Amino acid sequence: MFRSEKRSLIRFLIIYLGSTFLLFSIASWLYYISSKHHLLDQQREPIKYEAEHIKSQLRTLHRSNAEKIIYPSHTHIQSAIYDLDKAYIFGTFQTKQTLDINKYDNRLYHIMKVEPYYLGAAYLLLAKDIDFEPIEKLQRNIFLFMLGAGLFFAMLGYFLGKLFVAPMRDSMEKMNRFIQDTTHELNTPISTILTNIEMIETFGKEEANATELKRIEIASKTLSRIYDDLTYLNLNHQYHREINTINMSRLVEERVVYFSAMAEAKLLKTVMYILPDVTLKMDKNDAFRLIDNLLSNAIKYNKKEGTLGVRLTKEFFEVSDTGVGIQKENMHRILQRFQRANNSEGGFGIGLDIVNQVVNSYDFVLHINSKEGKGTEVNIQWKK
Amino acid sequence: MEKIVLIISLLSLSLFAFEDTTASSRLVTNCLTCHEKEQIPSSLIYKRYLMKYSTDGRMEEAMNKYLKDPKKEHSIMPAPFFLKFPMKEKISLDDAVLRDNIQTYLEKYSMKKRLMLEE
Repeated sequence: MFRSEKRSLIRFLIIYLGSTFLLFSIASWLYYISSKHHLLDQQREPIKYEAEHIKSQLRTLHRSNAEKIIYPSHTHIQSAIYDLDKAYIFGTFQTKQTLDINKYDNRLYHIMKVEPYYLGAAYLLLAKDIDFEPIEKLQRNIFLFMLGAGLFFAMLGYFLGKLFVAPMRDSMEKMNRFIQDTTHELNTPISTILTNIEMIETFGKEEANATELKRIEIASKTLSRIYDDLTYLNLNHQYHREINTINMSRLVEERVVYFSAMAEAKLLKTVMYILPDVTLKMDKNDAFRLIDNLLSNAIKYNKKEGTLGVRLTKEFFEVSDTGVGIQKENMHRILQRFQRANNSEGGFGIGLDIVNQVVNSYDFVLHINSKEGKGTEVNIQWKK
Repeated sequence: MEKIVLIISLLSLSLFAFEDTTASSRLVTNCLTCHEKEQIPSSLIYKRYLMKYSTDGRMEEAMNKYLKDPKKEHSIMPAPFFLKFPMKEKISLDDAVLRDNIQTYLEKYSMKKRLMLEE
């Protein structure tokens, strides 16, 4: 995993899990508060019932003329009566309670107004110990839910994160390979040029033969083509095309001559069928890129002493080679940028991508026929 | 020394008891005798005041107001009561004595004192 990929994944997970946790915490808290209120309300019901019961008892007791008036008591619920000034009259609490229910002593309180004031009681206070068992059970369930949801969303987040950073990882891998290929592609012709210049300098200019100069020429043309391709790729999205009528027959012949040194170096036999005066309305640079890339590929992937076929008619342009060919399973992705048919030769994997771009720009039709080990035919039908 | 303390304590208790008895007998003389003669139960009147005014302070004020200025609207009794019983005359007692009598009355019939829990 790349460092930046790891960093992006961690950032994504922090934001994703953080926001999910916050959302779930708020939802769980609201659920907890609502459920707790509901549970407490349930526990408050018997107190309200007892309050009504005591209220009716007070009426009976008020009428009593007995020496002792027995105040009603309950096993689990304590109660007390207060006069109109909220002063304590009597009750079952162990200590005299003030008429204040804003206490935090783990009890449920209920105040009821009484009128008429039987026994002088204007207020009735009742209290009951809270049963914490259902509340603790609720807390446990919410905690388990949060834990389960946390684990689930952590796994989901990790999976999603991996999914989101996959295209970035792919691009970075492509870029890495592109940089490696570029350095390698540049290194070969530059080394060739430097070595041959050194040889000329060592043996003297007079001794320089055509071979060294030929090698320098091929290497320079390779560098020039690399430069042109990279510039084309880089500027393609903002490139302003100048559409002119181009004599394709002359241009193809010129480019075959241009690449002849490379073809000769591989001892290729060039078979050409070029119909004279085939003209097309297109940008000259696009035409160069189209022809150069097809010829370059056909030379590069050809086998030694193979055949380079070039055909140009009013209907199509075709370049064929007798080289390594393309595997069937790689055919569908051969037009993608940075994809190479095989790694037997150097290159960026941008040649056919450029060809495809040009073809699409002019609504041409591209056909690639290839048999592994036998060769490849690239055919471009001009639009009608 | 112990004997002196014991004698003083007994004397004090006797004085308080005497004071209490005096207040009680003043109440009987000034109020209850007449109530009994008219067959108006004092405990019933106390309960009516308690049910309406709740506290001793409020009851005392209400009683004081009625006794000084006996009117139907100041009375705790319902209107039909005065069809059978004539409106009583304005009390001639000194204000302090009257208040003392009312407090003794409230103390005597207090229901709060009779309240207790089942043993």
